[in-house]
Amino acid sequence: MAPTLIERLSEWIIEHCVKPCAVAGFFVLVAFLWTLYFQHAIAYPFPFLFLGAVMGSAWFGGILSGFLAIGMSTVLIDYFLVPPLYSMAVAQKSQTFVAAFIVCAIAIALVSSAQRRSEKAIRDARDQLENRVHERTAELRRSNQELEESGRRLRMWADAIPQPMWSAQAHGSLDYCNQHLIDSIPCPMEGALDDALACVLHPVDERLFREAWRAALAAEKKFEVEARVLGADGEYRWFLIRSIPQHSADGRLMRWFGIHIDIEQQYRERQGLIEAHDELSRSARTLSMGEMAASIAHELNQPLTAVVTHAYACREWLSMQPANLEKAAATADKIVQESTRAGSVVSRVRALFRTEAPVRLPTDLNRLIVDLVHLQHDEAARRNVAINLLLADDLPAVELDPIQVQQVLLNLINNGMDAMTNTGNPSELTIRSQKHGQNEVRVTVEDSGAGLAAPARIFEPFFTTKPHGMGMGLAICRSIVESHDGRIWATPRDSGGAAFHFTLRVHA
Amino acid sequence: MSPQPATAGSARQTVFIVDDDPAICEGLCNLLESVGLSAERFGSAEEFIAQWHDQPGCLMLDARLPGMTGVEFQEKLSQSGIRIPIIFMTAHGDVPMVRKVMKAGAVEFLTKPFEKEEMLAAIHHAFQIDGSYRSGQRQLDSLQSRLNMLTPREREVMELVTAGLLNKQIAAQLNLSEITVKLHRRHLLEKMQAESLADLVKMAEKIRTSRIE
Repeated sequence: MAPTLIERLSEWIIEHCVKPCAVAGFFVLVAFLWTLYFQHAIAYPFPFLFLGAVMGSAWFGGILSGFLAIGMSTVLIDYFLVPPLYSMAVAQKSQTFVAAFIVCAIAIALVSSAQRRSEKAIRDARDQLENRVHERTAELRRSNQELEESGRRLRMWADAIPQPMWSAQAHGSLDYCNQHLIDSIPCPMEGALDDALACVLHPVDERLFREAWRAALAAEKKFEVEARVLGADGEYRWFLIRSIPQHSADGRLMRWFGIHIDIEQQYRERQGLIEAHDELSRSARTLSMGEMAASIAHELNQPLTAVVTHAYACREWLSMQPANLEKAAATADKIVQESTRAGSVVSRVRALFRTEAPVRLPTDLNRLIVDLVHLQHDEAARRNVAINLLLADDLPAVELDPIQVQQVLLNLINNGMDAMTNTGNPSELTIRSQKHGQNEVRVTVEDSGAGLAAPARIFEPFFTTKPHGMGMGLAICRSIVESHDGRIWATPRDSGGAAFHFTLRVHA
Repeated sequence: MSPQPATAGSARQTVFIVDDDPAICEGLCNLLESVGLSAERFGSAEEFIAQWHDQPGCLMLDARLPGMTGVEFQEKLSQSGIRIPIIFMTAHGDVPMVRKVMKAGAVEFLTKPFEKEEMLAAIHHAFQIDGSYRSGQRQLDSLQSRLNMLTPREREVMELVTAGLLNKQIAAQLNLSEITVKLHRRHLLEKMQAESLADLVKMAEKIRTSRIE
C-alpha cells in the first residue's frame, strides 16, 4: 500500500524538522550542562563544548541540525555566559568573541556535515556493492546448477543412444565415451583415440585410420573413415567413424566429437553392387575382346587360307612330270601377294591399338602410386589385403603417360591380389619406388601369393594362369612399359610370392 | 589320291566354289586344277543359283556369306530343287553350327585353312555321293520312261501282278479272260525290259519309293 500524502508529509516533517531539532537540542543541552558544571573551574566562558555539540549535531542530524545547534548555542552563550549575563545584549568587548564563535561553529558544521555526507556516500556505495556481489554469487550458483543439470542430462542422453560416441581434447586424447562405446569395446577407452581404438580396429584398417586421424588433427578438419571394428561378440563390423572439431569463438580448436555409425549392412549391399558391376563390366569386356579377336582372326585367316591352298597347288605343279613351272611361278606370285595381304591385316590391327601421339607429362610417381592405392583401398579391404608403401623420398619427377602407367600399376596390384587369394599366406602387397641408376626409377610390386610357375612366359599375350583370364594384362603392361623405354620383369621372392619390377626413364 | 569322276561316260564332275573372298576362290581353283579336277567359282549364292544347270559335282561353300548364312543357303538350295553335296568351309566352326549343317545334309565341314588331303578326301566323298545319287536318278528316269510306254490296261495288270495276284485272280478282278491277262503280262515284261517277275517286282518297288520321296 502506497504511503498517503499525510504519512509522507509526517515522515518528511520527522526527518527534516523533528529529528534535526531533537538532535541539536540534545547535544546543545548536554554541552550547556557540562559548561555550567565546568564554569566555576574555568574563568572565561567556555565555548568549546558548544562547538562539540555543533559538530555532533551536524554529524548525526545533518546540516540543518548543525545550524539549529549553532542558533541554540549562540542564544545560550549570549544569555548565560557572555556579559552582561542573563541578557541578550552583548558587551562591546565580547562581540568579537561571539562572532568568532559563530564563524567557527558554521565552519565546523559545514565540515562535519560534509564529512558525514561523504562517509555516508561511501558506506552506501559499499553496501550497494556488497548487495550486488551477493546477488551475482547467487545467480552464478544457480546457473552453475543449471549447467550441471543440463550436462548430466546430456550425458544421460548420450548414454541412452545405442551408438558409440566419444569426445576428445584438442590434441586427440579421449575425455568422454558414452556407455554404448564402453560396453561394445572390450578394452579400456582412454588416452589417445587412435591408441585406444587400435585394439579393436582391423589390422588392415588400423594404419589408414591412424594416418587419417593424424591428418585430421593437424588440419583441424572434419574426419571420416570407414573401418572394421571388433565388436564384443568377436566379429568385425564396418563402421563409419566420423569426428567433427569444435572451435571456440576466436577460432581455437577446443575438442573433437566423434560417433561410430554401423554401416555393415550398407557396406554389404554396396559391395554386392560393386561385385555385380565388376562382373558385368568384366563379361562385357571379355565379350568385346572376344568379338574383336574373332574378327581379327577372320581377317587373318582368309589370306592365310589362300596362301596355304596356293602353296599346296605350287607343290603339285612342281611335282608333275614334267613340272609345270609356268603355273608354279604364277602360284608363287599369288603366295607372295596373299602373304603381303596378311601382313597388312596385322599392321592395320596394330594401327588400331596405337595411340595418336604419346603423352609424356612430368609426374610425381609416388603421388600416382598413393592415389591409385587409395582408389584400390576398398577392393584390398574386401580381399583382406594389406598394402604397404615403401616409397623413396628422393624420387625425381618422371615423364610418363599417367593413365597408362596407372594401368600398369593397377594390373600388377590386381594380379598380386589375385595371386594371394586362397593361398593361406597373410595377404600383403608391398609397393616400392626407388631410383634405378642415374636416369631411371624403378617400381616394384611384391605379393605373398603362390609365386610364378613360368616367369619367362607370363608377359606373352594370351598366356594366363587364371581360370577366366584373357592373358592380355601383363602383355599390355609390357607394351606400355616398353613404349616408355622401360623394362618390366618378374622375380620370385625368397619368402614365397612374386615381385614384379618395372623401370621408367626420368626423361622421355 | 585324287578323286576321279565316279561315273564314266557322264559329264565330268566339277567342284563349285562359293566364297565372297576372290583370293580363296582363286587359291582353291588353282589347287584343284593342279590335281586335275575341274572347278568353277562364284562370288555369291545368288550367282551360283542363277547359273546352275544340274551339273554333276559338289559344292564348296563358305559358311559366312554376305547377306546369307551357309545354313540359309542350304535351305534355299533344297527349296530350289537343287540336289548337290555341300562341303562347308569356315574360319571358326562353332559346334552348334556344325551340327546344324551336318543335320541338314552337309557332307563335310572344313576349318580354314585346311590341308590338301583333307579337302580332297571331302571332295572325293562328295563326288561319290553325287555319283551314286545321279546313277540312281538315271535308273529311275529310264524306269519312268519305260513305265510311260505301258498302256493303261498293262499298267493295271502290272500293279496287280506285282501285288502278288495270280493270273486267274487278275482276270476276275479286271473282268478279262485269263488268256488276255497272260498276253498283257508278256507285253509288259517286254516293255519294262524285265527278265523275270521278281525283276519286275523290284522295279515297281523302286518307282513306289521314289514317289514316296
